[in-house]
Parts: sequence; structure tokens; C-alpha cells
Amino acid sequence: MGIKSLARKKAIHLMLVYTGGCNGCDIEIVNTVLSPKFDIEQYNVYLTWNPREADVLVVSGPVTHWTKEPLIKIYESIPKPKLVVAVGACALTGGVYKNIHGELPSEEIAGPVDNVIPVDAKVPGCAVRPEDVVAGVVSVIPILLEKEDK
Amino acid sequence: MVTKIDGATTCNETERQVFETELNMGTVHPAALEPYRVRLFIEDEIVKDAEITVGVNHRGIERIMEGLPVEKANALTEKVCGICSNGHIFNSCRTGEGALGIEIPERAKYLRVLAQELERLHSHMLYLGHGSEVLCHETFAMRIFYIRESVMDLLFMMGGNRVQYGISVLGGIRPRADLNSREKQRILDTMDYIDEKVAAFAERFVADPMVMSRITGTGELSQKQALDLHVTGPTLRATGYEFDYRTKMPEYEPFEFNVITQDGGDVRANILMRATEIFESTNIIRQVIKGLPEGPIVNRNWELTDAPVYKSYIEVPRGVCYHSYGLEDGKVRHSIIRTPSMSNIAAMQESCIGHPVQDAQLNIVSCDPCFTCTDRAIQIIKL
Ligand code: SF4
Repeated sequence: MGIKSLARKKAIHLMLVYTGGCNGCDIEIVNTVLSPKFDIEQYNVYLTWNPREADVLVVSGPVTHWTKEPLIKIYESIPKPKLVVAVGACALTGGVYKNIHGELPSEEIAGPVDNVIPVDAKVPGCAVRPEDVVAGVVSVIPILLEKEDK
Repeated sequence: MVTKIDGATTCNETERQVFETELNMGTVHPAALEPYRVRLFIEDEIVKDAEITVGVNHRGIERIMEGLPVEKANALTEKVCGICSNGHIFNSCRTGEGALGIEIPERAKYLRVLAQELERLHSHMLYLGHGSEVLCHETFAMRIFYIRESVMDLLFMMGGNRVQYGISVLGGIRPRADLNSREKQRILDTMDYIDEKVAAFAERFVADPMVMSRITGTGELSQKQALDLHVTGPTLRATGYEFDYRTKMPEYEPFEFNVITQDGGDVRANILMRATEIFESTNIIRQVIKGLPEGPIVNRNWELTDAPVYKSYIEVPRGVCYHSYGLEDGKVRHSIIRTPSMSNIAAMQESCIGHPVQDAQLNIVSCDPCFTCTDRAIQIIKL
């Protein structure tokens, strides 16, 4: 392990972007960080609201057309190496909002997230359980550190 | 322009130039949890005008619901909001039942009230946590989030999921959500725990001189303004006006509870309002468990027929929520949902005006915003 990744390991920053789901997933993600019961900070992962500080982008929601542009902007302003974790059924497949139309394309939804930005880990659930968010975020940290050394 | 009068330096009011600055944030801004747009027009750090716009997370649930059988549409309404998900499914089932003339068993009514009150508990605690976070007091936020987990565990026990628990179905409640005696005891124990912990939290909160001086007098909303803007829910009650739709709902008739009000309409009143309502909710839950009648929990004896437009109002944690259905052969032809935050957006704007810009975020949060569920296609009718 190089010195850079050794340092990075102590302070992984997580940023949350919300792209139009029902709020359930977001509250569970905030719960993951703020609630002492789950406490993702024990894995040295901290919440930030500044994309330039972030390492891991957590995306929830089905990406409505209006939030597509900002999502790409936020993704691009994160310095490399960066990873994306898509959280919730909406972010993975478009959820009820996209698929209920069957074959018809939805007028409102541009997602799921991997139509818009590359996704490294997917956490299913509607809404996700905080334990799963912790597991998902922690499982991508080795990939992040590997990328850092390159 | 500075002029000298009698040797003292004063500002000449007539010549002073004031620049209006616009500060805008959003729609997707990293600092705001939900996507919404705020425009603040500032003069001398005082907000002169504020404008909040929603619309980016419009997913068109009502449109998706059209043409679906009413039970399926009910399940979809839960996805309107992740905080008051039970409020929406409760109200849409109630609407469907009213339209089709379905009788609901007594036990199901009690359990619906139980779910609704548990949801109020978790929503109010989320508010307290979010408010403390915006006050930059993370310790308070963590403390209240820890207490909130006990409510989430109860909801998980009842519905099998932490957010979208889907307790109501057309005609009653889901068999999964029925309670046995062990579960009843667990709910009672948790209510004691919540009462104790929240009382200790509230005592510590009001004893903190720094926090109290920060929140007293910020974001004031007068009672007259609140009534003019048709603000609902705890935000209205925090201005001293006694109005709670629960007192008019037949489901709540067997239970005794007080309508809590606070004076002032500022952030302090709003926070204390939610904290005191928690005790009323635990009280109602105890009464539900004590008086829970035996019997069936779901009535499956109904037919899908035509029904004219039927409207239903209930009190959800943030105020009055409205659903309406027009049914054709039991399929949804028309549906309208109006969430309480729709009318509370005006309160958020109004409470920013006249206050320093650094309080704006706090003032908005003090009205308990939920922009996700508010994003519906609306039509404003001028009277
Ligand atoms: S996955 Fe479910 S809980 Fe999460 S945002 Fe979508 S609808 Fe809401």
C-alpha cells in the first residue's frame, strides 16, 4: 500500500446526491451517517456536501430529466479517483416510476443512474437498509485505494 | 454616502445607495438535502424577498396511477413520500373505501391509527434531528436519531420494512401487520423508553442557553400571516392557532388527546411544538394498545364498481393531506394528491423575509419541508 492510499484510508468522504426518488432512501443514508446505531464513521467514512472533497458519490433516486445535468456536473467536479454507489431500487432500475409504463418510455425519468454516469456498486432495496448502505460503501473502499495507487 | 453633521459621522439616508443582491441556491445544490430552488433577495444582509420553487422531482405518480385498479394505485401512493409513506397509503385506502362503500373492521381502524402515530413519532424526531443538524449541533442530532431507531424498529416489526411498510390495504390492513401479545408489550415498553428519553432530551435542549438564544425570535410567522397563507399542521399550531384535523377524523374518536399549541411561531415554538406532540402520540399509542378490539383485520367482501369523485382529508405529520379518486369499474380515472408542504411553502418564504440571511436555511427547515412529496402538478385558482 502506497503512502497516498494509506492516508486516504483514514478519511474517505462520501457525498449524497438525491435525484428525485421518494426521500426514503436519502433519509436512510443520512441515518447511516448520523445515527449512532449504524455509524459509518467507524470505517473512517465521513459525510461531506462539497463535491471537491468527495471520494464516493452515493446516488439515490431515478434521475428525473431535470436532475440529469446537475448530476453529471457534480460527478465531473469530483477529483479522481472517484467511485459511484447507486442506492435503492429507483437508482438501480428506475423503480416504480420508470417500469410501471412497461414498454412505453417514461416522460419524466432519464435514469436509472447507470444510463447517466458509470456506477461501481449497487445496493438494492426499497428503501435500502442502513446496514446495506454501510456494506456497499465499505466494499468499494479497496477499489478506491487501488485506483489511488495507480 | 457619508456626510458630516455637527461633527459626528452619520449616514445620509436619502443619498445612501442600497444594492439588492440575489442569492440563489439550487435546484440541485449539495448543501440542501432535497432538490429545490431558493432565491433570496438581500439588502444589507436582510432578506427582503424569498422565492422557493419546486418541480425538478416531478415523477407524475397520479399519471402513472391512471388506469390501474384501485388496490394497485393505493400501493403506488406510498411512493409519493418516504417520510409519511403510511399517511399516503392510509389516505388513499380511505378514499377508495369511501368511494366503493367498503366497511372496515374495528381492529383494522385501530391498527391504522397505531401506524399513523408511529409515523408521526418518527417524522417529528427526524425534524428534531434535522433541525439540530442545521443548528450545527450534531450531538443533539445524533442523540435524537438514536431514539428514533426504536420507532423504526417497531415499524420494521409491523410492516417488515423500515420506510415503505405498506400497512393499509383496501378493506383493512395487511395480515403481516397484525399484533400478538408479545408485540403489543414491546410497543408499550418502547413508548415508555421514548417518553423518558425525549423528556430528557427536551430538558437538555431548553437548558442550553446558546441554542435557545439562537432559535428564539428567528423566523417569526404571525398567526394572521399563517392563516392568510393557509398554513397547516404543526407549523400553524406553533403560531397559537388550535387546529388539528385529527379531532375531526372518525378513526380518532375513541382516543383522548390534546391539541398542542405554542406561541410565537418562531423556530423555538416550532421545535417545542414537535417535541411536545411526541408525548401526545405516545399517549394515543398506549390507548390503541389498551383498547385494541379482537376480530378480523381485513374485509375482503367488496366489488370494484363505478364511483364518482370522492375526497378524503387526513392529518399527516406535516398537516392536512388530501386525496381524491374518481373510479370507473374500480380503475382509477382521476386522482389528485395534495400534500401539506404545498401550503407550507408559503410559510417557508414568509418566515425568511425580514430576517438575516444566515438564518434563512434554519427558517426554511423550521417549517418542516418535504419537497419530494410536494412535487405535483398544481393549478392555482385565484378567487
Ligand atoms: S428505492 Fe424506494 S424508498 Fe428509495 S427512493 Fe425509490 S421509491 Fe423511495
